[in-house]
Amino acid sequence: MTSKQFVVSRRGFLKLGVATAAAAAAGGALTARPASAKGGLKPGFESKFTVCDMCFNKCSAIARVSDGVVQKLDPNPKFLKSRGMLCAKGNAGIHQLYDPNRLKHPLLRVGERGEGKFKRISWQEALDLAAAKMGAIAKEHTRCGMLFMAGADMQSTFVHRFAEAFGSYNVISHESNCLLSNNRAFLDTFGEVPIPDVLNSKYILMVGANRFESLVTPDSIDLMTALRQHGCKLVVLDPRYTKTAALANEHHAIRPATDLALMLALMHVLIGEELYDQRFVAEKTYGLEQLRDHVRPYSPEWAEGETQIPAEAIRRMAREMAAVAPAAMVYPGRRSSDYANSTQIRRGFAMVNALLGNWDRPGGLTAARVVGLKGGIPLEAPFYEDNPPERVDSGQARLMFEEEGSFKLTRDAVLKGEPYPIKGFFAYHVNPMQTGANRQKTIAMFNKMDFVMVMDVAMTDTAWMADLVLPSQTYLERLDPASAQQGSSACACVVQRDPVVPAMFEAQPVFWVVKELAKRLELGEHFDFTVEEFRAAQLADLPDAPKALAEDGVYYNPSRLYGVYEGKIYKTKSHKIELFNQRYAEAGLDPMPVYTPLAQPPAGQFRLVVGRNALITQSSSTSNSLLLQMQPDNDLWIHPEPAAKLGIKAGQKVAVSSPAGRQVLTARVTHETRPDTVYMHTGFGVMSKELAAFGRGGCIAAVLVDAVDEISGNMAMHETFVQVAAA
Amino acid sequence: MAVKLGMVIDAASCIDCKGCQAACKVANQVPDGFWRNWIKRGDEEKAALDRLGLRFQPGNCMQCDKPTCVAACPTGATYKEAKDGVVRIDRELCIGCGQCIAACPYDARYRHPQLRVADKCDFCAERRAAGLQPACVDTCPTKARVFGDLNDPDSPAGRLLRTKASVQVVNQKSNTDPNLYYLGDPGPADWPVQAKMPTPWQFWKSLGGPALEALVGLTGLGVIAMYGRQLILGDRDQPPDHASGQPEGGDHDQRA
Repeated sequence: MTSKQFVVSRRGFLKLGVATAAAAAAGGALTARPASAKGGLKPGFESKFTVCDMCFNKCSAIARVSDGVVQKLDPNPKFLKSRGMLCAKGNAGIHQLYDPNRLKHPLLRVGERGEGKFKRISWQEALDLAAAKMGAIAKEHTRCGMLFMAGADMQSTFVHRFAEAFGSYNVISHESNCLLSNNRAFLDTFGEVPIPDVLNSKYILMVGANRFESLVTPDSIDLMTALRQHGCKLVVLDPRYTKTAALANEHHAIRPATDLALMLALMHVLIGEELYDQRFVAEKTYGLEQLRDHVRPYSPEWAEGETQIPAEAIRRMAREMAAVAPAAMVYPGRRSSDYANSTQIRRGFAMVNALLGNWDRPGGLTAARVVGLKGGIPLEAPFYEDNPPERVDSGQARLMFEEEGSFKLTRDAVLKGEPYPIKGFFAYHVNPMQTGANRQKTIAMFNKMDFVMVMDVAMTDTAWMADLVLPSQTYLERLDPASAQQGSSACACVVQRDPVVPAMFEAQPVFWVVKELAKRLELGEHFDFTVEEFRAAQLADLPDAPKALAEDGVYYNPSRLYGVYEGKIYKTKSHKIELFNQRYAEAGLDPMPVYTPLAQPPAGQFRLVVGRNALITQSSSTSNSLLLQMQPDNDLWIHPEPAAKLGIKAGQKVAVSSPAGRQVLTARVTHETRPDTVYMHTGFGVMSKELAAFGRGGCIAAVLVDAVDEISGNMAMHETFVQVAAA
Repeated sequence: MAVKLGMVIDAASCIDCKGCQAACKVANQVPDGFWRNWIKRGDEEKAALDRLGLRFQPGNCMQCDKPTCVAACPTGATYKEAKDGVVRIDRELCIGCGQCIAACPYDARYRHPQLRVADKCDFCAERRAAGLQPACVDTCPTKARVFGDLNDPDSPAGRLLRTKASVQVVNQKSNTDPNLYYLGDPGPADWPVQAKMPTPWQFWKSLGGPALEALVGLTGLGVIAMYGRQLILGDRDQPPDHASGQPEGGDHDQRA
């Protein structure tokens, strides 16, 4: 073992092992030696349960801690939803905790917005300032003049509570930049958003999803088990040859924006050849006769012209699915922020499933089960008479989720100042600068604001644009409410998060921040409790939960998995599964999805599609020093044919431009994408110089045009055509 | 029969998520740009063009029964543990000469830039001592890596080895008799290289055998000679990028 003393730069101190970070945190000393030169765990470590926060999956994990330092994060073998695994991002959580670039204390902007000049201030100053600004905005513009946005975090519930107590309806989540089209479609077909029983399925048609790269628990893991051990067939339709495609039984590089044509053709075959589950459809669905007429023109031969998938393959898919139904599915997918008609496209997915009769049955789509977790301590929100009648984004998307809102429509409203002005913004653990299409418009939105406050662990691009930046504790330092989880046949369970190490620097939980703000704004009565008390209220009906959570890190509430709907109605207007949606008909929307060909890229242009892989969570993981070693940047996937025409060689810098903006990144010339489609990963091309990813790759939000799903208000991110040129 | 620790790997189950690589990096404090384990893959361009499947192949030090690294080590720092067959490195004895790195057909070793010693997978010795699985095995989502005593027919790994067809991935000219087995098609198999043995040293060893090795170890003659070599080499391989790390797993390994 060496006894040398190393003097290291601020950015480099993690390289010497995490143990040094604690010393640095305590004393600020940046001179340290590798504390554990031998590597590995020190004998006598403690094991503490935690819940991962490196993505939305919230996997239970075990922190191995010695001397107050997290040495390693391991999976919790008792956590069935993850199948006892921890992915690369989960392992890299330790590098979020000990990130030398972490936000350490409150910062007040001193330069121009987005210039990155801040000064350190005290929490007292920060909270007094925030309360004063929010109070002033409420007075001048009503309380709805404050906009709140919170990501998928176990403490986001407190931000929502604060917004409600403060009196603003304008609360948006990250979800309208992600999955709401899919949720809308399944809700409007089955009355709820299903959980696919991947593990027991015999045939999975995966369209617009990349489950082996974009990890969702337990689906990603169960998919492999189903393939390797249960003889399941996986057919992937994706313009890219993804890892999921590479591991599938069959892959078709479908022409983008034509998924609905394929679904309609599948229904055409299922109904035309009477392959659908006739008893199930007769008993449990509404609108078969209308659908029969509706899909008659949509033959596989017609669909071949749209999708560029051979008619015979489409016909075969329908027959193969029917042969093993109900243990067959069109995988519902998750991120569906793609096209202006994404809700209708996803309705097509849902309706094929309905014809297969797979609802509530093994290997099909399962319903949500009740875990018994309560809502915590109820809020009696005050009523503010001067508030406007509606959310700022209401009345545009026909069936927007009021509780989620629409980032796209809200931003438009802020820019116009209509129907009323919004002048303040509080964002917690969410990064619309990177995830919301058209970054220039997001910047313009910030510039409309009198006051922007952002709380996060690191100086994200969204924090970079803020007036006041607040340092959040990481998940490993926090006491959080309990959270209910469900995943397929794996479980319906509860997890909770306790701190595994003391908080570092001046970082605080957002609960403390909103509580302090509430005190200053005379709303203290709404936060007159502790997180422990809130959690106890959540667990009030689960007397066995605290012991199980302490011993296993997870609490299961055994409940029925299949047949949940026997003897029950579906939560739709007809009380049945709606092939024909009556509410849509009443609202003037197509009650059954009608295929209208979407524009395809003109000559010399490409459709830009975006996504992630197992090392990326949108934008929140890409600056992680461990993950950056495996995913150092993003590049532009372009097919060799157009690349040759444009004189673009592999590894060369290229400019990608659209009406929304221009980004420069490296070309990856590959047959893994279609000639008409280029691809970028999310999360790079950051503006914030305080992130380790600064200077790497290009930003999707800077190139994507902001279209909107007309029904759900979800962002539509695959409607962007780009030009590509050597840079 | 003595314990022989090894891995039986189902390459077909690997989704190339790199969980094993991240887990290993943290568990063993592997410095930036270096790796103790890897996931190799076939020709993805060809696969994409021909619409073929692609196979991902997880791997790490194969804890060989005929370890060329042990033979190449001038000081006895690299040795094969008698009790479980794991090839270990004694950092007190290692002089960082790099002979073992060249002698490994699998490029499983690298030179630790700060500690100036050879480093590689030891199936997470500290974790095993604490009753835990190796980090890569514990964390793997699809459980493609199965670890255990290959000599125990009832261990998870032993059972697989006994009941399913498996192969080893080796270079024909340097068959080290590895203890990593792959079930069925392992994917790419043409990557192990011929071991580069330190010729003079091998010659001495062939003359003197263990006795000479022990003698050199005792007198420190070999140590001095090799330390000179380390001084000459200096820190040329310091920057993380290519150096002596794994051919896969660094910047150039990325396929999104």
